[in-house]
Amino acid sequence: MFMQLIASGIAVGSVYALVALGMTVLFRSTTVVNFAHGEFFMLGAFSVLVALQLFGWSYGAALLFAVAALFVVGIAIERGLMRPLQHAPHVSLAMMTVALSFLLRGVARFFYGREVIALPPILEGEPLMLGDVVLLPQDLLIIGFSFLVVLGFYWFFQKTRTGKVVQVASQTPRGALLVGIDVPRLRNVMWGVGAAMGAIAGILIAPSTLVYPDMGGHMLIRGFAAMTLGGFGSLSGAIVGGLALGVLENVIGGYVSSAMVEITAYLVILLVLIARPQGLLGEWRQGRA
Amino acid sequence: MTLSTTRPGARERDPAAAARRRALIVLLALLCLLPLAVNNYVQFVVNTMLVYCLVAVGFNVVLGYLGQLAFANAAFFGIGAYAAGLSMVHWGVSGPVGIALGGAAGAVLGFVVGLPALRVKGYYLAIATLAVGELMRWVYVHNDAITFGPGGFSLPELRLLGMTLDETLKYYVFLFVVTLAIAATSLLLRSRFGRAFVAIRNNERAAASLGIDGRRMKILAFVWSGMIVGLGGALFALLNGRVSPDTFGLSQLLMHFAIVMVGGLGSLAGSVIGAVLLTAAPEVFRNLPGLEEIVFSLMLILVIFFMPKGVGGLLSDAFPLLRERLYRRP
Repeated sequence: MFMQLIASGIAVGSVYALVALGMTVLFRSTTVVNFAHGEFFMLGAFSVLVALQLFGWSYGAALLFAVAALFVVGIAIERGLMRPLQHAPHVSLAMMTVALSFLLRGVARFFYGREVIALPPILEGEPLMLGDVVLLPQDLLIIGFSFLVVLGFYWFFQKTRTGKVVQVASQTPRGALLVGIDVPRLRNVMWGVGAAMGAIAGILIAPSTLVYPDMGGHMLIRGFAAMTLGGFGSLSGAIVGGLALGVLENVIGGYVSSAMVEITAYLVILLVLIARPQGLLGEWRQGRA
Repeated sequence: MTLSTTRPGARERDPAAAARRRALIVLLALLCLLPLAVNNYVQFVVNTMLVYCLVAVGFNVVLGYLGQLAFANAAFFGIGAYAAGLSMVHWGVSGPVGIALGGAAGAVLGFVVGLPALRVKGYYLAIATLAVGELMRWVYVHNDAITFGPGGFSLPELRLLGMTLDETLKYYVFLFVVTLAIAATSLLLRSRFGRAFVAIRNNERAAASLGIDGRRMKILAFVWSGMIVGLGGALFALLNGRVSPDTFGLSQLLMHFAIVMVGGLGSLAGSVIGAVLLTAAPEVFRNLPGLEEIVFSLMLILVIFFMPKGVGGLLSDAFPLLRERLYRRP
């Protein structure tokens, strides 16, 4: 029972980790806390749906389409809505992402109303037995794919020149500009990457939950909780926090009460901010309002 | 320099203040006559606007004047609605008592939310307070015996002085509460407490060096904000005759945030204007799914791009009559 809870927790937690990672990448490279990230997640799932049902494409093509579409959406948003505000106070930037979240949700609702749609699983097949732990192929796919994405990010940030440039530019944008790094362009691309990350998480989890225009809000809070738990703004913290949150939710749901699953994230946020505001892996800096 | 150097006695000689007071009296008189001119549906929309005026004014105290990114507003709103509604259902109290209880419950929650605000700031505070809001919603859903669970509950038929509370009568009750609350808030903000809030917003350390007790002032601002928004929640319960937990979620909060931002941080008149605009505009598109949100977001984007100080800021630049002296954007 315990191992089963841990295993399912890791499957859910990898999606939280992806969501939190997407938000962190954006936060690190632009200092914007993106309240529209839940909508990127939602749009990812909807893009798959559109490609499958409207275009009649195969699942693989639909997945690629969704990730590419959200990358373009992210870039367009940065260019059209965020860049004009780069010298505005932080509260305006936060407000813009709130507006964006309304806009994207409105667009989804315009086409799909309040429908709730189920997506077929990406991988079908017999559940896998490991001792007394049962894993669905879908869960394995989620874990495996998240692992790959995380590994890719690690490689990108630690081993490639561009990755290091991105890190430098987020630490001192002015300094980066002075040594000839094209910071606006970098931000532009990072918005695309952030949106695509949201989409990947949405695509992975959509078959196990349901697809509806309001699905993002729930995930946004999970992302915040994972970021807070791991350490706000820390890349590895986002991953650790996401996995820990998923496991915690499952363990609490299994041993305490299933009603507690919904509020685990909120309790985690409050407890962490009271007891250890820097999170598990982060360094403590007072946020810029 | 944000603080006005005018001494209290100087207000009487300020011609703009006198003109503003006359304008307010005329406005209030016109508002009293409004039910003669509108039908039931419009009256309902106007009542909704009044509710959101309270919401925005209360939110602005913390967001605009105290300068804290606290996102517990939907929680204040919800607890006000629940306190008012449940006290009527369980204890059979009358409407006015229910409204007062709503305000009191909001104030208590404001105190509770104020405590983390003494410790964390910025986005951390935003997220912590967001969590408080969602926790409250969970409490409503999972205490069926008291709160009637996820489906919510209906209020008993409301009567005031022997008359059934119809939209018109509600309007007068609401107008009374809203006028009182805004007037009181305006007085508070112009007192030494309000000036202390703005001082903390501008520079907490400098404020402390002037002998301002930051902790006490923050708690006061949160309690006040909770009370005003709680009152708004109580009116909201009366307005709809129903209270249900999913009304008080993330989208409610984002709507409150939008109203304050459209109106302008640190402008009470702006908050009222924001509430009127953002309640009215989506109403026009109510029948088309999604358009409501789209129109709403486009209005926000327009304001962010072209009116960084909000509609309130824009108007006070254009008409000196509307200028509120306390607050300037740095």
